[in-house]
Amino acid sequence: MNNTPLSTTASDPKRRNLRAPIVIALAVVALGAPMVLGTYAVHAMVIALIFLLPAHGLNLLVGYTGMLSLAQAAFFGLGAYASALMSIHLGTSFPVNMLAAIALACVIAVPLGIPALRLRDTSFVMCTLGFVIIGQAISKNWISVTRGDMGLNNIDKPTVGLAGYSWTASNPVEAYYLALVLAAFATWVFWLVVRSPAGRNLVAIRENETLAESLGIPTWNYRLAAFVIAAGFGGAGGSLYVHYISVASPLMFQTLYTTTMLIIVLGGGAGSITGVIFGSFLFVALSEGLRIAPELRMIAYGLSLLILVFRFPQGFAPFLMRIWDWAGGVDKKEGSA
Amino acid sequence: MYFLLEQILNGVSSGAVYAIVAVGMTMIFGVMRAINFAHGEYYMIGTFGGWYATSALGLPYPAAILFGVAVTIVIAYVIGKFVMQRMIGAPVEASVVATLGVSLVLQNTAILIFGGSYKFFSAGYIEPVFFGDVGIAQQRLLIILVCILVFLGLELMVGFTRMGKTIRAVSQNIEACEVVGIDVKKVVMTTFILGTALAGFSGILTAPVNVSVYGGMGEIITFKTLPIIVMGGLGNVRGTLAAAMILGIAESLVAGHFGLQYRDSVGFITLILMLLWRPHGLFSSRARF
Amino acid sequence: MTSGKVSVLDIKGLTKTYGAVTAVDNVDLHIDHGEILGLIGPNGSGKSTFFDCSTGLATPDSGSVSLEGSDITNWSLNRIAREGRMLRSFQKTVVFKKLDVEENLVIAGQMFTFPSVLSTFSVGKRSRMRIEGLRKHARELIELTGLGPVAHMAAGNLSGGQQKLIQFASMLMPDPRLIMLDEPMAGINPKLVERVIDTIRYANREMGVSFLIIEHNIDVVTSLCSRAIVLDQGRKLCEGTPAEVIANKQVREAYLGG
Repeated sequence: MNNTPLSTTASDPKRRNLRAPIVIALAVVALGAPMVLGTYAVHAMVIALIFLLPAHGLNLLVGYTGMLSLAQAAFFGLGAYASALMSIHLGTSFPVNMLAAIALACVIAVPLGIPALRLRDTSFVMCTLGFVIIGQAISKNWISVTRGDMGLNNIDKPTVGLAGYSWTASNPVEAYYLALVLAAFATWVFWLVVRSPAGRNLVAIRENETLAESLGIPTWNYRLAAFVIAAGFGGAGGSLYVHYISVASPLMFQTLYTTTMLIIVLGGGAGSITGVIFGSFLFVALSEGLRIAPELRMIAYGLSLLILVFRFPQGFAPFLMRIWDWAGGVDKKEGSA
Repeated sequence: MYFLLEQILNGVSSGAVYAIVAVGMTMIFGVMRAINFAHGEYYMIGTFGGWYATSALGLPYPAAILFGVAVTIVIAYVIGKFVMQRMIGAPVEASVVATLGVSLVLQNTAILIFGGSYKFFSAGYIEPVFFGDVGIAQQRLLIILVCILVFLGLELMVGFTRMGKTIRAVSQNIEACEVVGIDVKKVVMTTFILGTALAGFSGILTAPVNVSVYGGMGEIITFKTLPIIVMGGLGNVRGTLAAAMILGIAESLVAGHFGLQYRDSVGFITLILMLLWRPHGLFSSRARF
Repeated sequence: MTSGKVSVLDIKGLTKTYGAVTAVDNVDLHIDHGEILGLIGPNGSGKSTFFDCSTGLATPDSGSVSLEGSDITNWSLNRIAREGRMLRSFQKTVVFKKLDVEENLVIAGQMFTFPSVLSTFSVGKRSRMRIEGLRKHARELIELTGLGPVAHMAAGNLSGGQQKLIQFASMLMPDPRLIMLDEPMAGINPKLVERVIDTIRYANREMGVSFLIIEHNIDVVTSLCSRAIVLDQGRKLCEGTPAEVIANKQVREAYLGG
């Protein structure tokens, strides 16, 4: 392995570059899927697209900064309740609610992150899990606001208005296109963050925090920034979710939501954007799409978590990279490190 | 006054339950540095075993205890072989994900086999005994007694038996143990089975008091034991006992004064407040056992 | 900056205890502009603790550290590096293992090019220009340290000596005023020792960087340093030119008797 370049750039001139066709084909599939698929499958795709938002946030923490946070589900729930309450009491429209949910999640993340980020490893994981448990307790017990276990029902379907014209995503197919646009936008924003110099600093923190410190990087500020940005992605996802399924309840703080986000990121490949997109379709859309007993689905989920840990510790990202290299005509002399 | 005393006594008995479950979890953490998110599931399995033994097989309660613990051990052996032994030296993320996976599988398999509805556990010794005006169920006294015996037993085991000493050695320095030729895999397996058997045992002991038996019951126990083991100083047995008692009593007082619905969040709120005050736990994790 | 003779680094009465052990006991030290100062002493003499306390990695119990006249005693490691342009290496070589050499150097330069944490989140034209500038600078330093052929390899796949050079080149990225090296020659190929010495000299002469070097290899100290300080059991034993220090009887006793 010593002195082997990570990837050779020499491409085979005889083979055509297949990257552009692959991207175009995927775009066509993404745009055309609802026309072919049945309502239930489209619904599964919508859920996958929505979960991509908090998953991006989790990826920023786990994959780029190297912190395992379970708090994404708390911010997801927070965003959902904030949007639901605004919609019910103020009658504000979906875009306003979503922006408010993002802002609120970011603001709340600061006082939660400051104490939590002093902790390391197991204590940090436990503290972030605590935020979810406390979120659930609040949603269950602050009955005058949240209506407790009954939850908040009949939340407006997402409506987007522009210059007097307004459009409501009232069925799964319409919701699919809305979610697709928002997920694509969120992915673009995420890409900008990780490609920025700050993203490079986050990777430096993940790789070696003390070294990063010694090179002048204020690691504390960056870890807090990552926690806050991740919370924003979580809040955005919660807002879209609640407007789509039109119910907010304490069930949103269940372990299942945390597990789902984890499986998307770790299964797709922490630290890889395409891996996470792939993960969200593979694990959420497919499992939602399988119309089996919920218990069987959970068992399948559990088994796939185990298979991931033992067989694919890097998730599917390396596999995708290989396809991408192959498509670009890049021949790898040896496997990468 | 009697009300308060009764609450504290009830708190001690729930603390005893938490302590028996948490001590296993903390010992498992000690030897393999892995958080076991599935730990509560063994409590659930033990309870289901006991329930099945009394209601379907018609066994008396003491036999049901043995049956439930045996079932837990068999399942723990399989999980230990295929999952836990492979987690030795794995990063924190891996252990979180793998044990969450185990938890999903065990919980939903139980629901698949026995159905999702609540079952009624009718065995045990639930008649109250009175000390003056303060009443407490016999079963609760039994739990407290068992807790004392379990902790005495663990202290003796760690202090005087070869296996106990090895467990302590592995929790203190796993690399050194590998170097001197201790079979770490075997130690992990033994600790895991001991820890989960205690969880299962605790489940059957508590069943007569809790009465209801259902597939999701382990998750709540996991979420109560997690803050306890962190507060107790991960891997620290005595610290875990103290933290479990503190949580049991605090829960009982909160339930009595603010309402039952707040009880389940006491653990994590206490944990977060404590971490703010002392980021390394209430009890040092360096002073294991 | 100042016309009077202000040292680059001036440390007074630095003390650090761990429990009952006094690791560093009331040590004074100053480094003049353009100087290469050697810090030697037997194992456990407190050199590394002294390093950690003066660079913000550990907090001293008492004493003061001032950089070009301003007090930096309680500054954090990252602030000392960023605002003081005083950088340090680690005894056990550390690089960003999964990143390539060029990326390692770009990271090292970022906080000195961008004015704030917030500005590093920008992906605008100005930000891209800054990064382009950093890449150019990184390539120059890669050539200077002879890492050109491996510039795009993952740092973790390179030899120990090459990693030391990466670490050294990283510290040159921000145009530092002072570099503190913790055993730069330990465990590296003798062929690379010469290259490291040359690079230190070059940085000292052409870039005006002052150095504090912990080193066991007495030949290296003699050839590089104009002055050396010996620590023993947390105290300053003696100070002088390398030749004087080697000739000192107490120093011989400390090394042989320790």
